Amino acid sequence: MSEIKKIKNLKEFSTSADRFEGANLLCPGCAHSIIVREVLNATNDDLVLAASTGCLEVCTAVYPYTSWDASWIHIGFENSSTAVAGAEAMYNALKRKGRLPQPDRTPKFVAFAGDGASYDIGFQWISGCFERGHDMMYVVLDNEVYANTGGQRSSSTPVGSSTTTAPAGRVSYGEKKEKKDMMSIMAAHHAPYVAQVAPNKWKDMVKKIQRGFNTVGPVFINAVSPCTTEWKFDPADTMMLTDLSTDSLVFPLYEIIDNKELNITYRPKNVVPVIDYLGAQGRFKHLFKPENKHILDGWQKRVDDNWDYLQRREEARV
Amino acid sequence: MADKMDLLDVEVWDGNMAASQAMRQAQIDVVAAYPITPSTPVVENYAGFLANGYIDGEFVMVESEHAAMSGCIGAAAAGGRVATATSSQGFDLMVETLYQASGMRLPIILNVVNRALAAPLNVNGDHSDMYLGRDSGWIQFNAYNAQDAYDLNLIAFRVAEDHKVRLPAMIHQDGFMTSHTAEGVLTLSDDDAYNFIGDYKPMNAMLDFEKPATYGVQTEEDWHFEHKARQHNDLMTKVNPVIQEVFDAFEKETGRKFDFVTNHNLDDADVAIVAMGTTVDTAMLVADQLREEGKKVGVLGLRVIRPFPFEKLAAALSNVKAVCCMDRSAPGGTVGMLYNEICGAMYNSANHPVITGYVYGLGGRDMTVEYLKGIFADGEANAAAGKPTTPLQQFIGVRGPKLNFL
Amino acid sequence: MANKGWDEFDAGAILFSFNDKVDNIATTLAEDRPYSPSNSFTASVGDWRIEKPIFNKDYCIDCQFCWIYCPDVSIIARDKKMIGIDFDHCKGCGICVEVCPTNPKSLLMFDEHKDDDECLAGWPEKDEKEK
Repeated sequence: MSEIKKIKNLKEFSTSADRFEGANLLCPGCAHSIIVREVLNATNDDLVLAASTGCLEVCTAVYPYTSWDASWIHIGFENSSTAVAGAEAMYNALKRKGRLPQPDRTPKFVAFAGDGASYDIGFQWISGCFERGHDMMYVVLDNEVYANTGGQRSSSTPVGSSTTTAPAGRVSYGEKKEKKDMMSIMAAHHAPYVAQVAPNKWKDMVKKIQRGFNTVGPVFINAVSPCTTEWKFDPADTMMLTDLSTDSLVFPLYEIIDNKELNITYRPKNVVPVIDYLGAQGRFKHLFKPENKHILDGWQKRVDDNWDYLQRREEARV
Repeated sequence: MADKMDLLDVEVWDGNMAASQAMRQAQIDVVAAYPITPSTPVVENYAGFLANGYIDGEFVMVESEHAAMSGCIGAAAAGGRVATATSSQGFDLMVETLYQASGMRLPIILNVVNRALAAPLNVNGDHSDMYLGRDSGWIQFNAYNAQDAYDLNLIAFRVAEDHKVRLPAMIHQDGFMTSHTAEGVLTLSDDDAYNFIGDYKPMNAMLDFEKPATYGVQTEEDWHFEHKARQHNDLMTKVNPVIQEVFDAFEKETGRKFDFVTNHNLDDADVAIVAMGTTVDTAMLVADQLREEGKKVGVLGLRVIRPFPFEKLAAALSNVKAVCCMDRSAPGGTVGMLYNEICGAMYNSANHPVITGYVYGLGGRDMTVEYLKGIFADGEANAAAGKPTTPLQQFIGVRGPKLNFL
Repeated sequence: MANKGWDEFDAGAILFSFNDKVDNIATTLAEDRPYSPSNSFTASVGDWRIEKPIFNKDYCIDCQFCWIYCPDVSIIARDKKMIGIDFDHCKGCGICVEVCPTNPKSLLMFDEHKDDDECLAGWPEKDEKEK
């Protein structure tokens, strides 16, 4: 069972039996569940799942219903990483002692958490888990905001975004700080595999998830998760927004192996201007006022610089 | 397979070593831990056992106490035996997860080596951390000395993991006074200790892939109350019979008898001191001295703090005329917990002794024989007068003008 | 699921996904699973919808874009074919319509209360401009 699930194309992928169920309480058009489905469907192995407090957690395990067809645990906002690490430790202990209920299984241990739970409040727990080298995957559902509590800024919130705790106003263009570079930070833990994914590029994503599942040690996945509610776009446009995020290179898709090798895994044929991405979202609406033009310019420059940097790293094999 | 350790019938151990040895003998599957004074040696000793082949479970040294309990919760939900240790600020940091462990009904064993809470920072023993945990839904056992710390660990695993209970349990011992004081401790062999605890019996294990379980759900106003009520019901009605069963079994195995309350010469006593931790042993010593002088005094030690043994306590105090309650924690604007609980236990009982409270020993300040004699004397005066002859709350052993309230 | 009293559920608020033991759930399709009443599969969010997607299989090429991008596991695909929509779980977000590549689209949104046959009868012709 531990062999990698064969997913040649979407038709073949569509024969998967989902282990994430509908009638969860996520918003219509939420990208979280698209990401979760792609992660879970990437393997036929058993799963032990954890979730940090956040949209995914509060919408998928509200008593008396669970939307999970695999064992799942939520403890708190900050500790889904450690919860699943504890379960992984128990697996290792029971395996050694010959007490696993089904000893032939090869379970995968996965934690899901939002950017607030990961970039902010759970940062220390993730760092600890990665330093200790638990055999687990940590997936950030990165919607760049505390969406569950109504749109407060996190350290993943990008410059110029209007949030309830850093709103745009008469004398403010919203968020002033740049998004935290979690990919580099997690790679710097010498994690064996770190990757940024987007659900629109499902093949790239599933390949990375499968590589992650096949990697021994902690794997960090940052998944862009456009939020219809807080990014302020029509729920039907979730995949369009995801396309804009990857094709504008705001969310470049790449992987870092052992903190030594960076590979860009998706190069858009036609790179979309960043303003097309920003303009499709209500959270950046105020940036299109004349007085905020410098913020828009800064955005494009930052994205260009980052893309150059990633390409240089890729070329230099560092 | 872990090596067995040959123990002498009596080992010279401090409280920390007693706890670590019991943990080793329990063959725990996962210990996730973080060191903090004065419980650090529990973790260090355990690491030493591991390094020398005496442990075959997992030992995860995490980056904080919060992570320690988080890892314990994940491991316990996965389905195996789990324990850790902490103190003071680390206990504070754990508090969020303590409620989650009990709410998910996970039988985790936590050795709490009691220590004061900052600010101001202090590394020495008092009961502030223990009091902080008293509403957390855990079972709380109280050790007076290193022997108790050893015995109660063995007892706690068996109680907590019983399927009728399935609740986490703390074993409290006094920081330094117990944890770092070497005493003779009567031991069980590794086999006898393990057999007394028994094999871990899984329940709703996350690692049982034939029966996926969802842990840590959200319940709002339509369900939360029922779940909390269920947990409280089980604490009030299901735990104590199992504790009694295990106390009986332990007495049969070792000859050492435990009860929910330690009744030291209370049956014909006029005055009782009620205390926890090392103060119980000291108070018993003082009471024995006073008995030789013909004074009718006794001591009640609280062995099981949660679930609070109301009936057993009221029965043990059913003949006394005065009770002096010893709280080793700053009550923060009210009476001490023991004073409060004992008033609650006695108010509707047939006996209505005069009940007074004492706050003492904060931050490791000694509770001396002389102080205890003075407190017994207060109790005698109260018993004779049939009413309080002192303020209801006195601070004992603090410098400066005498500090009394109420 | 009926509201139960405090003494009627599993201690620890633990929920089980299935009534019976399952062998390998990753290869067991929904129709063969022993879902428990606690599994949200047994619940419905159909009443969230204002608009519903209608599937016209005449134009479908079984690309499965709707299947993979459906956030609510509501596109029913069997044997590599799109066979319908799970209206108990569809919230009416409209993603499936947006990602449908056929011309005309094989999925379109209609008012929730409009008759299905009426929806299909009024299906648009191939749009030359869209190509």
